[in-house]
Amino acid sequence: MIAGAGQPAGTGAAPDMRLLRALHFADSAFPSGGFAFSWGLETLLAEGRADGRNLRGWIAAELRGRWHQFDRVALAGGFWHSGVALLAWDRIVDESIAAEGARLDSLRAGAALLASARAIGLAVDPAFAEASDDRADAGHFPVVQGHVLAIAGLDLPAALAVSATTAARGLSSAAVRLGRSGAISMQKDLLALMPLIADLAAAPPDRDTLPGSFAPLSDIALMRPAAGRLFVN
Amino acid sequence: MTAARVGIGGPVGSGKTALIEVMLGHLARAGIQVAVITNDLVTDEDAERLRRGGRLPPERILAVQAGACPHTVIREDPTLNMAAADRLDRQFPGLELILIESGGDNLASTFSPDLVDYWLFVIDVAGGDDIPRKKGPGILQASLLVINKADLAPHVGVDFPAMMAEARAVRGGRAVLPAVCRRDEGIAEIVALLRREVLFR
Ligand SMILES: Nc1nc2c(ncn2[C@@H]2O[C@H](COP(=O)(O)OP(=O)(O)OP(=O)(O)O)[C@@H](O)[C@H]2O)c(=O)[nH]1
Ligand SMILES: [Mg+2]
Repeated sequence: MIAGAGQPAGTGAAPDMRLLRALHFADSAFPSGGFAFSWGLETLLAEGRADGRNLRGWIAAELRGRWHQFDRVALAGGFWHSGVALLAWDRIVDESIAAEGARLDSLRAGAALLASARAIGLAVDPAFAEASDDRADAGHFPVVQGHVLAIAGLDLPAALAVSATTAARGLSSAAVRLGRSGAISMQKDLLALMPLIADLAAAPPDRDTLPGSFAPLSDIALMRPAAGRLFVN
Repeated sequence: MTAARVGIGGPVGSGKTALIEVMLGHLARAGIQVAVITNDLVTDEDAERLRRGGRLPPERILAVQAGACPHTVIREDPTLNMAAADRLDRQFPGLELILIESGGDNLASTFSPDLVDYWLFVIDVAGGDDIPRKKGPGILQASLLVINKADLAPHVGVDFPAMMAEARAVRGGRAVLPAVCRRDEGIAEIVALLRREVLFR
């Protein structure tokens, strides 16, 4: 078990522990399978619909459209709920993903993060394992991320900041691995995006908000078949 | 009980998939319950080839894509493979062995101890008889080093017994076995070693 994990969020933990936990879970070396996903960017770069020289703008649009309206909301539900309610929320998120490929990718990424959380000794909600079947594991990535960060002792604002930061870094490091951006330019982009991330992550959604998404280009890219791709999506 | 997890790594084209194909025949004859995970770089090519081979029901062969990074998915971040293996364990009670084929990589690739209990590194004679001397972590640290395509030695000017001896020397006497996967030679010995050291049966 992680020291202090499992306590109610926001109580008892000194601020420096909260910072350290957030740093820990936002670390790109934290194994979660995220490196294998480009969430449509590979296809769009290949087709010239995203510009390797304006990744910053592209990532900002993804954060505003996809992350803020979908991941942030899905994550908050995963953070708040447990047991049956957690699974019910996961179903709602499942039904809100239109493209079958994207749905399966999100489940795949969620399964990887669950495997990691279990392996480091976090007390993952057994509902996820019980609801998994032959075809797929229960647990969409942002829902699992919310749940894992909650049981690891982060508060919701920190969990949202971790999620937005790792999403932005995931996209930019995919571009680096595709040879379309440099490791240094990536860091400049991420620093420039920091105020936007802080802004978008500042306010948790209302309890009755449902996940939606508006990132039409990447949505379409996620529906394309996988032939000839380096990344899962 | 979960199945033993065995990694199979090695440079591009050394014969990893070929080794799995022939091993499956031996394992089936011994009545051992097996599943396979492949880590192809871009496609599901190796998984498809194993499914077409028909030695295992297709649902026992899973493909995990490696996101442009064959060594990350077996070492720095093996969680996609761990999740796939967990799924196989859940789906096939009684499963005894999961073989995980790494995407072709270089001599520095190694499997995370979080992912596998035991791992094989497969090189071939056509890569040159100097490969063991280069002492990559794959060559040195693998539980078993397999030198494949022994049949090609005369065609590529390799003194095979000398290559085997050199490999044993750099590995400090740890297991090194020769193979011709294409003709099913040496495979019985590899499977016997796995049964002894990993499956205990
Ligand atoms: N002559 C000879 N050829 C072999 C032998 N084993 C494999 N091959 C050939 O070597 C080539 C590569 O074999 P694969 O099994 O695809 O190699 P791999 O290591 O799985 O390749 P990647 O997954 O692409 O890294 C194929 O054309 C095989 O037929 C062998 O023992 N002798
Ligand atoms: Mg292969």
